[in-house]
Amino acid sequence: MSEAKHKFAFYLGCIAPNRYPGCESASIKAMKKLGIELVPLKGASCCPAPGAFGSIDLNVFYAMAARNLVLAEQMNMDIALLCNGCYKSIWEVNHKLKHNKDLRDGVNEVLKEIGMEYKGTINVYHTAELLYNDKFIGVEKVRASVTNPLTGARIAVHYGCHLTKPHKDREFEKEVMLNTDHPVWMEELVAALGATPVEYRNKMQCCGAGGGVRGYDIVHSLDITNEKLINLKEVGVDALTDICPFCQLQFDRGQIEIKEKFGVSYDLPVLHYAELLGLAQGMSPQELGLDLHAISCEPFLQKVL
Amino acid sequence: MARTKGYPEALEKKLNDQRYYSEDSNPEFTKNVKAISRTIAHMCFQCGTCTGSCPSAPRSSYRIRLFMRRAVLGLENEALTDPDLWLCTTCYSCTDRCPRDIAPTDVIMAMRNLAFKRDIIPVNFLKTVQAIYKTGHGVPNNDVNRAARERLGLTRDPPTTHMYPEYIKGIQTILDHYKLKANADRIVKEREG
Repeated sequence: MSEAKHKFAFYLGCIAPNRYPGCESASIKAMKKLGIELVPLKGASCCPAPGAFGSIDLNVFYAMAARNLVLAEQMNMDIALLCNGCYKSIWEVNHKLKHNKDLRDGVNEVLKEIGMEYKGTINVYHTAELLYNDKFIGVEKVRASVTNPLTGARIAVHYGCHLTKPHKDREFEKEVMLNTDHPVWMEELVAALGATPVEYRNKMQCCGAGGGVRGYDIVHSLDITNEKLINLKEVGVDALTDICPFCQLQFDRGQIEIKEKFGVSYDLPVLHYAELLGLAQGMSPQELGLDLHAISCEPFLQKVL
Repeated sequence: MARTKGYPEALEKKLNDQRYYSEDSNPEFTKNVKAISRTIAHMCFQCGTCTGSCPSAPRSSYRIRLFMRRAVLGLENEALTDPDLWLCTTCYSCTDRCPRDIAPTDVIMAMRNLAFKRDIIPVNFLKTVQAIYKTGHGVPNNDVNRAARERLGLTRDPPTTHMYPEYIKGIQTILDHYKLKANADRIVKEREG
């Protein structure tokens, strides 16, 4: 593997750096231990939010995402990111622009005004994909990096939507990631940390936040989240893990809102896989900023530390 | 779950009327949806797999299959003025399962784009635009988080437009090119005074 393959421009998005900074610090530290350097992507902005911008005007959505892509092209580096929503914008727009000349020309006409040009010279990866793919890291290396196994913890996975769906457009080297009805690759990653992955009813259901619905009709949005929480309660888990800070926000802060609006509480800790990986590699809860979570992670931490 | 958004009276009446009137149809609408969505709605044979896969369907009157039919029949007003248009979470389950290889989610997105051209848009979408115009971020940083970032060994502001505000100008130029900020400000002002 060449040196360049170990370095990625780290695209942060909004919710990770501005609400759950532990996802950011854990990704940088954990990936470094696994041989991948995440380099700051200077001047990046919101991806932009695919629900809001895609709904308003897809042309703006393409142009705004292209600006972020060009910043990485100028660094001559592939992008790594840690959010499914950002993946939808950054990966998908990169893919669309590479394959559709009319869209590429339209975007470049706008980018010209700010002295930029989209060339289509880089690729975009989700950190979960880098962790799972042997070409970059792979499950065995993740397992070998664990110093504090999360033994005894029952952990369920929320895959989220936009990393793998729509699967007919996606291009993963690992075919197994294209199964969107019942994937198990994240469960493999959870097991690699020493925890017990737990299946639950309708696990591929959306968190309910996307498409602008969280802002448009919060009760409707939370009702979808609540259904997932009911299904999770049924099997009894110590934590839920995700690979999307927006889903994390919906499950974490959403539980407070669900308590207010529906009068039910679950107290289920919700952690990004990067945070779990950080814990398993020996980072402290303080180093991960787990105190910033709306739902206390304490019961889960007591079990694994 | 009780409906939280009311329909306009005229639409309510129309939704109760199941007949199809050719004068309600706008063939341009069908073409526009196809051009924006880059998927072929008229391949739809109304099997309902989309609605069956939809997380919004069981808790509302939102039926993606109905919107697919509206796309094919050119029922522009019904589609664009229906508040249910905004209940799609864009989870793409329907797109993954469609036996005709259509992307119903992208049909919805195209309809929302067309609705926006008529100023039909929930205010929360526009507020995201305003936030990004100002800071580059849809969810901006705050002081509690800055302190936390410092504690985690990160920079107080992330190395994005937050730390390098000189990049915001480029974002504003893109948004101004499409007159998006001006339109967002105008519509928000009309709704909220």
